[in-house]
Amino acid sequence: MKVSLDMVLKDIPGQLVKALEPISEYGGNIISIVHLREAIKGGRVPVHITFEVKDPDRLNKIVNELEKRDIWVSKLGEVKRKEKIVVVITGHIVDTDLRDTIDRLNEIEGVMVADVALAMPDPEKESSARMEIEVSGHAKVKKALERLEEIAEEKDLFIIKSLWGGRQ
Amino acid sequence: MKVQLVGFGNIGQGFAQVLLKKTRSLRERYGIDLQVVSISDISGTAIDEKGLNLQKALATMEKTGKIIDYPGAKKISGLEAIEEVPADVVVEATPSNIETGEPGMSHMLKAFEIGKHVVTSNKGPLALSFKKLKEAASKTGVEFKYEATAGGAMPIINLARECLSGDDIIAIEGILNGTTNYILTGMHRKESPFDIVLRESQELGIAEADPSYDIDGIDTASKLVILANALMGMDVSYKDVRVKGIRRVTLEAVKLAKEEGYVIKLIGEVRNSRLEVSPRLVPVNHPLNVDGALNVAMFETDIAGEITIVGKGAGAIETNSALLSDIISIWRKRS
Repeated sequence: MKVSLDMVLKDIPGQLVKALEPISEYGGNIISIVHLREAIKGGRVPVHITFEVKDPDRLNKIVNELEKRDIWVSKLGEVKRKEKIVVVITGHIVDTDLRDTIDRLNEIEGVMVADVALAMPDPEKESSARMEIEVSGHAKVKKALERLEEIAEEKDLFIIKSLWGGRQ
Repeated sequence: MKVQLVGFGNIGQGFAQVLLKKTRSLRERYGIDLQVVSISDISGTAIDEKGLNLQKALATMEKTGKIIDYPGAKKISGLEAIEEVPADVVVEATPSNIETGEPGMSHMLKAFEIGKHVVTSNKGPLALSFKKLKEAASKTGVEFKYEATAGGAMPIINLARECLSGDDIIAIEGILNGTTNYILTGMHRKESPFDIVLRESQELGIAEADPSYDIDGIDTASKLVILANALMGMDVSYKDVRVKGIRRVTLEAVKLAKEEGYVIKLIGEVRNSRLEVSPRLVPVNHPLNVDGALNVAMFETDIAGEITIVGKGAGAIETNSALLSDIISIWRKRS
């Protein structure tokens, strides 16, 4: 998991190393460090660190260790990577209520239909659409695709998915 | 080594042609002396325990289309020939039947029962009852080789078994049917609708008059089942595959995919114990994007990572590369 962490360090030498040690000790991989020297307040300097760590358990251990070292963690959050799934759909897409299809996908937390391109060669015939769905995190890809399959079954739509895991 | 050929259509005749061409080099390179002691088709069986004249057998087919017209041929079936004619290996090349697996299934079981090795290109029996056939072969301790059933000339099974023998295969995905690939490539390149490209490929002899076996994904699904059973230790049959063919792939769908840098391909995939055949969006620069009637398979393994193999998935001569390599491997094991 990718983690974003804001902390406040005493503005004296050696503090940054003290803050980074626990991260490396628990196998964290540091991606970036931003040292906000212009925002020094009361002899303390805010630092923003982004790093990868294997699981929430290790992250907890890192935070506990930081607190033990008298480093104040002011903000902590997981950075969710946005993924894009592209699907192509054929069938009576408009007649079976495209709005409803989109709404039912958007209902899932962390899933949003970002773009729909529609081609209707003949109002009598089946139409085709390309849909771009934004999902936060890989687990949501599966969820979004499952929901789409469910809707397709119900509305007799034909779904053409990307390769495994929505791989681009 | 005495070989019986059961099924003398495209593949069977291709086998005879390849043997005619290769007899000398097989003898020189491996010391194999291959004799075809019987050839059976639906009309009867030509038998010669000293080895049939393959040239004459092919000429007979050209003339009348029936092996019964070969001098001295008898009106006995392939099954009876397997039972009665002494031989080491049965090459089973009858047409594939995904409903019953017959007549291939009975041919293979009979051969195993009486202790003959089997080399086959016939998918049906394997897609229906792989385990039963494997068990029947091991009961009498004979070899069961089926490289030609999945991927035609592409050595998929042997590649995985021999060269990736230490790896665990996590997933297999690929284009395992040349006809659908030809059609989808045509739709993408020429921007022609499905019906037109299908008709064109029928005229070229690439698609059958009744193309459903290919375009409804049945052929791909059969091959996928064979790969899952043979290479991933699964015990599945054709009914376990979720199959969607390419009939509902519209020209507009192909164009919408193209605009975003994708091609639509009929992909067979085994992953997480799930077997699926369906049209998928493949990025144009992805290794699975191969053109025309080519086949491609990609293995995902725990050690090697991704390995991709591309080749001709069908063809009377090409498929015989697989049959021949299976025969050679039996020979090597025996000697």
